[in-house]
Formats: sequence, C-alpha cells, structure tokens
Amino acid sequence: MLYPRVLRKRWVLAVIFICSLLYFLSATLSKSSDYILTEYESKRTLRQPFQWQPTEDSNDTDVIKCRNSRQGRWLIVDHKGYVCKREHVGINNCCNPKQSSTKHFSCDTCLSNGCCSVYEHCVSCCLQPKNQNLVSKILKENQEAPHNLFIREVENLFDLCLAKCRTSSQSVQHENSYRDASVKYCYGDRPPDLQVITG
Amino acid sequence: MQVKLLTVLLAALLVLVTPHRSLGSEKASVPHDLKESAQNNSSLIHSHQKEAISLFTSDFKKKVSGVEYHQHDNPIQKGDVGNADDIALRLLHLRNGSLQNVRNTFESVPVDDEANTTFVGEQNPGSHVDSSQLNKTAGIKNDSGIKNDSDNSDRPTENHKDTSTKGFTFEGNPDHEKMSICNVSHPGKTERVDMEFTSSIVDNEYIITFNGYYKSQARKRFISSALQEAGLTSWKIMPRINPAHTYPSDFDVVQFHGQSDKAGVEALKDHPLVKRVTPHKKVTRSLKFTKVDENDEPEVDEDFDIKHGGSFNSRNAGRKSLSTPAMWLSPSKYKSRKLLRAVPKQIVSALQAEMLWGLGYTGAGVKVAIFDTGLATDHPHFKRGRLKDRTNWTNEKTLDDGLGHGTFVAGVIASHKECLGFAPDADIYVFRVFTNNQVSYTSWFLDAFNYAILKKIDVLNLSIGGPDFMDHPFVDKVWELTANKVIMVSAIGNDGPLYGTLNNPADQLDVIGVGGINFEHQIARFSSRGMTTWELPAGYGRVKPDIVTYGSAVRGSALKSSCRSLSGTSVASPVVAGAVTLLISAVLDKKHMINPASMKQALMSTARRLPDVNMFEQGYGRLDLALALRTLKNYTPQASASPSYIDLLESPYMWPYCTQPIYYGGMPVIVNVTLLNGMGVTGKIVDKPKWEPYTPEFGSFIEVSFSYSADLWPWSGYLAISITASKDAAAWDGIAKGQVTLTIESPPEDEETEPRRSTIMLPIRAKIIQTPPRSKRILWDQYHNLRYPPGYFPRDNLRMKNDPLDWNGDHIHTNFKDMYQQLREKGYYVEVLGSPYTCFDASQYGTLLVVDPEEEYFSEEIVKLKRDIDNGLSLIVFADWYNVSVMKKVKFYDENTRQWWMPDTGGANVPALNELLAPLEMAFSDVVYEGDFKIGEHDMYYASGTSIAKFPEEGLLLTESLKNQGFEVIKANTWTVTNVPILGIHQVGTGPNSGRVALYGDSNCLDSSHMQKDCFWMLSALLEYTAHNSMPAGLPGFKKMTLPPVTEMPTRMEGNHLHRYSKVIDGSLGATHHHPLPQCPSLIWAKPYPINKSAPSDIYQPQRLLSIDIDSPLNSANHPDVGFPAARDPALLDLQPHLSGPILGQDRFTWFPVLAFLGTSLVALFLFNQYYRTKSRPKRKQRARPRKLTQTPYSGKMPGV
Repeated sequence: MLYPRVLRKRWVLAVIFICSLLYFLSATLSKSSDYILTEYESKRTLRQPFQWQPTEDSNDTDVIKCRNSRQGRWLIVDHKGYVCKREHVGINNCCNPKQSSTKHFSCDTCLSNGCCSVYEHCVSCCLQPKNQNLVSKILKENQEAPHNLFIREVENLFDLCLAKCRTSSQSVQHENSYRDASVKYCYGDRPPDLQVITG
Repeated sequence: MQVKLLTVLLAALLVLVTPHRSLGSEKASVPHDLKESAQNNSSLIHSHQKEAISLFTSDFKKKVSGVEYHQHDNPIQKGDVGNADDIALRLLHLRNGSLQNVRNTFESVPVDDEANTTFVGEQNPGSHVDSSQLNKTAGIKNDSGIKNDSDNSDRPTENHKDTSTKGFTFEGNPDHEKMSICNVSHPGKTERVDMEFTSSIVDNEYIITFNGYYKSQARKRFISSALQEAGLTSWKIMPRINPAHTYPSDFDVVQFHGQSDKAGVEALKDHPLVKRVTPHKKVTRSLKFTKVDENDEPEVDEDFDIKHGGSFNSRNAGRKSLSTPAMWLSPSKYKSRKLLRAVPKQIVSALQAEMLWGLGYTGAGVKVAIFDTGLATDHPHFKRGRLKDRTNWTNEKTLDDGLGHGTFVAGVIASHKECLGFAPDADIYVFRVFTNNQVSYTSWFLDAFNYAILKKIDVLNLSIGGPDFMDHPFVDKVWELTANKVIMVSAIGNDGPLYGTLNNPADQLDVIGVGGINFEHQIARFSSRGMTTWELPAGYGRVKPDIVTYGSAVRGSALKSSCRSLSGTSVASPVVAGAVTLLISAVLDKKHMINPASMKQALMSTARRLPDVNMFEQGYGRLDLALALRTLKNYTPQASASPSYIDLLESPYMWPYCTQPIYYGGMPVIVNVTLLNGMGVTGKIVDKPKWEPYTPEFGSFIEVSFSYSADLWPWSGYLAISITASKDAAAWDGIAKGQVTLTIESPPEDEETEPRRSTIMLPIRAKIIQTPPRSKRILWDQYHNLRYPPGYFPRDNLRMKNDPLDWNGDHIHTNFKDMYQQLREKGYYVEVLGSPYTCFDASQYGTLLVVDPEEEYFSEEIVKLKRDIDNGLSLIVFADWYNVSVMKKVKFYDENTRQWWMPDTGGANVPALNELLAPLEMAFSDVVYEGDFKIGEHDMYYASGTSIAKFPEEGLLLTESLKNQGFEVIKANTWTVTNVPILGIHQVGTGPNSGRVALYGDSNCLDSSHMQKDCFWMLSALLEYTAHNSMPAGLPGFKKMTLPPVTEMPTRMEGNHLHRYSKVIDGSLGATHHHPLPQCPSLIWAKPYPINKSAPSDIYQPQRLLSIDIDSPLNSANHPDVGFPAARDPALLDLQPHLSGPILGQDRFTWFPVLAFLGTSLVALFLFNQYYRTKSRPKRKQRARPRKLTQTPYSGKMPGV
C-alpha cells in the first residue's frame, strides 16, 4: 500500500508526468509515414537472406520441383531461367530443356533499355547472371516507391524478376495508356521509352 | 499544490487520450466523431423512425400543428449547423426519415382507388435532435466531398415548390394486358401509388422562431410580454404533446383569435428575442393508385457521386466506388413497404452462412484482399490478428479509412461482431487504393495488383468500377491477376436502370461481376445492366452481371464501431467475395482445383433464377451459398458455357432474343457465349465447334456461324454464334432446334500426362417466320455510332453536366432499348447494321435509321446511299448538336488521365452527316438549340439539338421557337429564335419508287439516358411516312418554305482526334485521309452434322456442371460424422460465430489497458488523498478557482436538445 504522502512529492508527480508524456510522444511520433505499418516491418529482419541462385540439390532435373511463372498464355519461364511453350512443361513444373524451342536465359524480345515485349523473356533475361549488377542495384534503390514495394517481400532472384517484369505505375502515360504498348516489360531500372499515342 | 494537481490531471489525460497504435486518427478527434455520426446517421434515422412512427400514427388525422414539407431537392445542401435557422430547413432533413414513416403508417390503412387522405404531421420536437444532427453531419459530409446527387435539377417537373409527386411502385399486376411480355424487361406495367403533397397556409396560426433555445415557460413569458404591449389578449400557444416538449426549443406556434393577426405579428416581430414570425402551413398528402409503365418513371440517379455542380469532372469517367448513401436519402428507391420488414438483421443469415459456420468453416486459411479506402487496425469488428497486412497506394499518407466505404466492405467480408461478415477468420489484406476524396489512378492499381500477386491472394474484392474498359494497362493487369489464380469479385455498377451501363472490371470474362437485388428478390434499381459494349459495332455484347445478390440496405460495419446500412453494387460485391472466401475455406483440401473459372462455374450453375427478369439484368440469378458449397465439394475440372443453352424463345429470360423471331435474309442474331475453363489457365477449342441440327425438329432450317477465341486465356474465352434462317425456310413458320458441341483442351497439370479435355453441348432453339415485307423492316445503323471509351464523345444533352460522356453504346439493346421496344410493338422488325452502308442489300429494307452518328462516312457509302434512296430505301436521321465553339467550351481536365479532354465531335458529327446528305441537297446547321414546345397533342423537349440548314424546296418543314443554347453556353445569355426548322420530310425524286427522307435535329427524345420526354410517337409517325408514304398523323404544321442560303457550312474542329477512334479516317500520317473501304464481313456457315433425334424436354434450361452429385452428403470439417444439416434449421440460423471461439477474449490483451488503469488509479488515489486533506483543513483560499473553470462553459446559451 502506498503511503499517500509519497504522491505529493514533486518527484513522484514528475515521474508520472514524464512517463505519461514519453508514452504520449512515442505513440504520436512513432507513426511513421511508411507504407507498411511497423508491426509488419519486423518480417524484414526475420527474412531469409536474399537468394541469388536457386538451390540445386542435384543435377537430376527430374527430381527437382520447379517454380514457374504459371500465368502465361503460351509461354512459361521456370526459376532456372528456361523459357518454353506451355505444353513443354514437365510434371515437375520445369521446362523441358531438351525441347528445341526451349531457351535458357533468353533475351529474345528485349531491347537495350532493359525492356522486352514478352513477359517470360523479361523474366528469363533478368535471371541471367550478367544482369546481376543491375538487379542488385534495384534491390538497394528507392525501396519506398510504390512500384518497388515488392522488394521488401521477395526472397529470391526468381521472385524479384517475376515482380520486376510486371507492368507497373512506371509503364503508363496518361494513366490509361502504356508508355510503349509493344515493349512494356522491364527488368532494368528504367521505364519503357515514351511513345506517342496514335490511337 | 494547484500546479501539482493540474500536472497529474494532465498526465492522466495524456495517458487516456493516447490511442493504442496510431494517433493520426486522434489528431482531430471532434471532427472524427462527427464523421462517425455521419456514417451512423442511418442507424440514427432508424431509431428516430420508431419514434416518429408512433407520433404519426397517434396524430393521424388529428390536426395539431403543421409541418412544411419541402420537395426534397438535395438533402444535404448547405448544412446550417449552429443555430436552428429555419424550421423549414430542418424539416427538410427530417423529411428523409419521416416520409418513410408516413408510408409505414399507410400500409395498415386500406388504400382504395382515389383514396384521399389528409394527414397532418405533428411538428415533432423529437425531430429537433435528429434534424440538427443531420444538419451537422450534412455539413461534414459536404466537407468530405460526398454528395447525394439526386439530380432533381434536371427534372423541372418534379421541382414544384408546393406540389410534388413521388411515386413508389407495388409489384406488377400479372393479368395486366401486355403485348408481349418479352418486350418488357420489368414485369410489365406496374401500379403505383402517387403521393401528392400540397401545402396551404393555416389561418391565424404563426410560427414564432426565437433567437435561442428556451424552456416553454420562458417562451410563454416572451410571447405574452410582447402581446401584452400590443394589447392583445385572445391568443394561445398551441400545445405540443410529445416527449420532447420538456426540452428547450426555439419556436412556438401561436394561434390568434379574432382579427388580431396583424398587430400580433408586428408586436412579436419587434420583440428582441424573436427572430422571425412565419405563417403556419399545413401539408396535405393525397394518395392515388395509378397504373403506369414503370419505364416512364423519372430516373433518380442515386450515385455515390462526387460531382460538384457545374464543373465538368472526369471522375465520372473514371472509377468510382459503387455504393449509394444509406437508403434514407432516397426514399423513392423503396419499391414496396414489405421490403423493410423483410430486411434481415444480418446479411449472413440471408445467405445461410451460419450453416457453413456450423460445419466449422469460417474462412480460415484464405487470403482475401480488399481494394478500397482502407481500414483502421483497431476496428472492434475484426478479430485481432486477422488483419494481416495494410498497404497504402494513394498519395494520402494514411492507411486508415476516412470515408467508411472500405470499413463497410471489409465488415461484410470478415466482421465478427454486431453486423456479421461471412468469413471472420479469413486473413485480411487491406489495400488502400481510393482516397477519401474518391480519387484513384490506374497506376496505383497496377502497383497494388502486383503486390497482391506477390502475396498470393486468393480472393480479391473490388467494389470499384468505371466505364473505361479500354484502359489497357488496367484490363491487362486484371487478366494477369486472374491468371495467377486470384479470384476477382467486382461490382457491376450503380448506373441502372439504364441499359449499357456495365462497369469495368466487372464486365470482364474472368471476373465475377455482381449485381444488386433487394431483400424482396427484385433487381435493385441502381444495379447496372445490359450487355457489354466491347464488341460493338460488328459483334454483340456478352451477358453480365454474372450473378446478383443482396445490395440494398445491407447492414455492415460503420467507420468506428456499430453498424450502418448501405446500398449499391459495391455492397453486393463483398457479399459475394465473403461467400467465396467462406467457400474456399470449406474446400481447402481441393484448393488446387479452385480457380477463377471453377469458382465462377460453381456460383453460376447453382444460382437461383429470379422470375420475370432477363439475363442481361440478373445473369444466372441469385447467389445460393449452400448449393454452391455442394457443387464445389464435388467439382471436377471442366469447361462450361454461359449461357448454358440458347433458347431464342424463352421469355423474358432470353430478352432481347425472344422479342424478334429470325427469318431468312435478316441480319444474323448473334449470341455471345462465354466459355469458362476450369481445367487450366489456358486452353483451346479442339478442331471447330460442331453444328448438329435435329433432323426431326427442322434443325436444317437454321444456319449458324461461329467465331471464337483462339486461346481461352485467362480461364475463359468467347464463342459468338451467329444464327439465321436458311433459304429453305424463307416461306416457313415454325420452331427449329439443334445443338452445338465443342471440345476444350487444356495442358496436363500435376501428375497428369494427357491433356485435359471437356466437351460442351449447347442446345439451340429458334423461332423462324417468313421474311416480313420490306416496309416493315428497319435497319439500325450501329457502324457510325462512336462512344466513350476510347474517345471523348460528349453527351447529347448539354445540360447533363455531371455525365459528360456518351458511353452507353448507342445500341437498340442498350440505351435505345425503349425505342426498340416501341418499334417492335408497332410491328416493325429492327435489325442492326454493324458494317458500312456498302454491306447491306437495300432492297430488303424499308427504312434506314441513323440516330446520333459520330463516325465519318466512306465516299462509297455516300454514293451507295443515294442510289439506294433513288431505288426506294427511305432514310430517317435524328441528328444532334454540333458547334465548334461549344465543343471547345465543354473541354475539361481529366484527372484520371491527367490531360485535357476536348470533344472529338459534337453530340453528332454534323459535318460528316452533311457530306452524307449533300447529294440529297440537305444539311444541318451548327447552331445549338434547346427548348420546350408542343407538336399537336404532344409535349416535346428539344435537348441540345441542331436545326435544318438546307432542305429541298419541295420538302415540308416544321419550325418552332427555341432558345439558342450555344449562345447560352458561350455568352451565358438567353436568346430565343423563332421559326427554327427542326423537322423536315421529303419525297425524293418524282417516281413512286424513290424513297423518302425525314430529318430531325435532336436524338435525345429517343435515347433513354437522360431522356426527359420521349418522341417514340413521332418516330412511328415518321416511319408511317417513310414506309407507307402516308402523311404522318399527329404531325400538323408542316409547310413548304425556302430556307435562306447557307453561307457557311459547319466545319470540323481543327486538330480534333477523331481519326484515333474512327474506323473510316486515318490521321497517323499527318493529314487525315480515308482508310480503304473494308471488306464486308461474310459469314461462313458451319457445316451441319444432322442428328436424327428430338431434343429432350428438359434441355432448354440451365445446365448443371458435369459429374456433380448435388445430393451427396456434406461432411463437417471438424466432425466428419455430422451430416448435412437442414438449411432452414432455426437453431443454426441463430448461431453466432463468436459462440464458436472462446479464444477470442484473449486476443485483445495488451499492456495498454494496464497502464491506463494504473495511471487512473494513481490519480484517483491522489484525488482521494487531496479530498481527505481538504476536509480536515477546510480553509483553502484557491478553492473557488477550479470551480469557476468548470463553470465557464455553461454560462452561455443552453445547448440545444
């Protein structure tokens, strides 16, 4: 039981006041202007280190389960960088590298600005080891921008490339038109070259 | 000591005030409370209703004092918050609530034909509370940019000050005579009760308004002192008999006896505390039962719109949240009183979600994304920890909802308290893509959708839509999203009951587009409908919405806590999204089979069809959660078609196909079938679809042609079937049947080695008649109609400032539907031309109908049309306004595309039309006219039209006096012009074989969007003339006249972008030039594979999904032994989700309450100590000060009640 006189002491009151004030201020100021709330940010520290290379357990391609892009109309790209036709995806979800149309690290429709006409080519090109410098630059830069928000969430190079190649706020002009309707999937740090709308 | 006391108090206050997490919301705590009450005002109204009902019923037919009801122009005009300025103003708000009560009252009263009942409402001081609060909330609402745009300013007829008519309809009378039920999309003619309000001044009675609020004793004192000075004695204050009379008020009603009125009024006016004295009015309402065609009712545009008055704002064109404000703002929306009684307290009960909860499914393990205005973390309706992620994609630095829309939507999906949601245990991902000002951009959506794909969202609700289906980045992104197995549920739009008003993305094949119904299972008036317009002009639209569910007066979470009612398809959409989430959690063991297509198949094949509603309004019908669950439990991957059968006779479901039989030589009827492929994200049609006519049932009299998607991606594709009668059937009447079969193949998945295959059988039935005579056949020119998107083609009525775009497709089955029905009822056969004039055989048709064309013409078309007219084809043109200066004036800055928008033509493309008419020596002017006038018996309204500038001398013209609206738009001045030629008829050439031409300068009277007065009668009179060469009846006043020579013809606007959207001209290479004339579409008739069988009797009805045993028992997730409980088990319906989770209580435990408690107890201890000490030492000199402090706020006026 508190002796009531203690409460009258100036320091007790001061302590109560300061505690309250501190809590008040911390609650006021800790509301960061981030897009993601603090309670979710902890995930980043818990995250696995970024995987640059897919983990290869063995060379036997039949055993490994692949992750692939799954969305494509005709083409699929797997996490090893193989691009193939949908019908050439094996039961392990990998592209069958033995098919003649299957290509590895294909940059077929990509331009020098890092933009491609075909999404799967963009992902495949992005996975190319020679583009690692470019990709690591993206990883570090401008994480706050809405179109780069995914960077906090990706855990490996394949996820990064899948996300980076998607059309984003950087791909449009006047909101409802592409900057470049034919070459719109970019793995690089530059947006597609601006084209005039012809209608 | 005082300092200490204050310090501690301050500290305690700080602790208490500090919120748990975010303080942003607390920065303006008072406005927030107000906002909250703004969100809550519907519930407030409900409580008020009860009170008012009793008041109204008790005072029924008993005159106590009157209420002045104003016509409800705009319930939230300038909210006069502070003093109760005007009783009338406050009652204006009160009306929202009380009008409904009045009707409640009337329901118990037998309503006879011509029943004339007078009711006098009690000036209800209880309403003071509500109305002043409404005022307050109205003010806030205005600040946050929400405005109920009830659009009454555009309907002058409804705006009489003292007399107003509001109708509300009762269910249709089934034995009412109808020419053809199929021609009427609503259940025919309906009866409605017309309510008429008249107000009159009550003699000798005056309302005395005071400057402040006073008790009744004080008020009496004031009045008697004022009247005593004037020497008046014979007066009395009207007593108020209601619970609020004990509270201070700011008015009284005084009745004078004898001839003392004037002196008394003067004396009262002189009193310093009296603000004003106004005569007392009585409102009389009469009821009348009238039989009306529902389509004639004025449309009430009840969009949750953000438009402000006069300025053009593009947000209309962009996406907007699809909800309407709470129902009380729009009493006319209620179709029937029964409805209110039927409103269930919980939306989940209406769909029997409790049954799934009872089986242990509550949405656990399913990720649901809500794309809306955000959500607060600490909303009490959501289970702690279920809110997995919140992200903001807007330019406002907040994650919280400031509007209530996002909270409501999230509540319908996942609330677990008060107003329950469907899936309380689902993982909620909140995406804030819509600002408090209801702004959003495509680019925000693109980034947000990417994030949703990365997060592997299962269900995504988008209660937002807009008309721009040509926003390619957005549409592509939605495809990408569904291709990644995100089930997208979206609201179809709130632009009903007009047809052609579907919103994107809900109109996409791969999205579940949801329309709204009320609790009486009628399509909600606001729900968008009609076919998609993507396929025009050459093709035909798809069926949308996919399904409908409750979207009218649904209860959901309010901004802070408690519940509110909201209406709109943006309410219906989360109902489906919540149901889908719940369904997925029930079939998690088969999750690999769950994809956008299979879910859509399950929902659609089990939906319950609404009677008397066509498929372009209801899709497959009303969502049935229980049946959908059974289907999903037994689902095997397969493809299906939607609609699942083609019965061109079925009425009214297969509207408009059932309205017009097919015949040889007519333009083929196109049915645009959607193929859903649950087997894989891609697929293709193997070989070709096969046409198999039933030999014994005259199948060979039908010819079909197919066009279909090369690839079914994502999860879906189309199969357009063109159907016509074969040459052998040219003189045959009867019903012919056959079927189409097709096989769809998808790549193997999982461990499979063989491709997946699924065969669809699509039965077809059609009515064939002999080819009608030429004069009865009308050809509608669709090819030369252009619309938004993509271009800015302005409205045909310049007064419609808040809907600046022409976006309904201008098709006979969209916004010209009413015209089409009229023509059909007159016995005309209407066909649609989706190709240039060079592509039809003019000898088959009596009249070519060109209404509001925006497109240019090929020179070949101009030549051919002249030749056709010489050979007997008649032409009717309904043009529209065109003026370059006006066009420049109606440009606007589009916030959605961040650029200036300049119209590419006027309402119609008059320069191009003049080129078409030049060989006939006719032309339209570029003066814009507007005005009301009469032709014969008929009232007409000329809403922004053109006039005839050139006409052959032998032709007959009709002239009227009209306002020069162009002058008004530019100079803001009125200028009336007499003798404006607006209608002209002319027999071309001399021979009887030549056709006739009729021109009219305004198309608004045929167009159902924003139509004020129709001129269908005039169209049929003109058709009489063009088809049968009989002088139009009911069209007096024609005369021959010589028009002054035209000095300057209307010219095209410099630098217009029409070439971007035109199929005729091309401007990409500098100067505009014509494209080469395209080849006419030639259909290749599919080779028939006749089968010698008759159609089974049950074939022309919704097809079930294959190999699904609907009757198999369902097992509970938790208790495999529990069978499928009966859906109507009352015990189950009462089951609340919180009963199932004792864990809930612990979820919310945090350290904050402990701290707050400690702080408070410390302060309490201190105060106790202080009190103890003061008691022992009573003399303390500063004692008075704190009391003074607390007193000051109350020394002013007494607050209102």
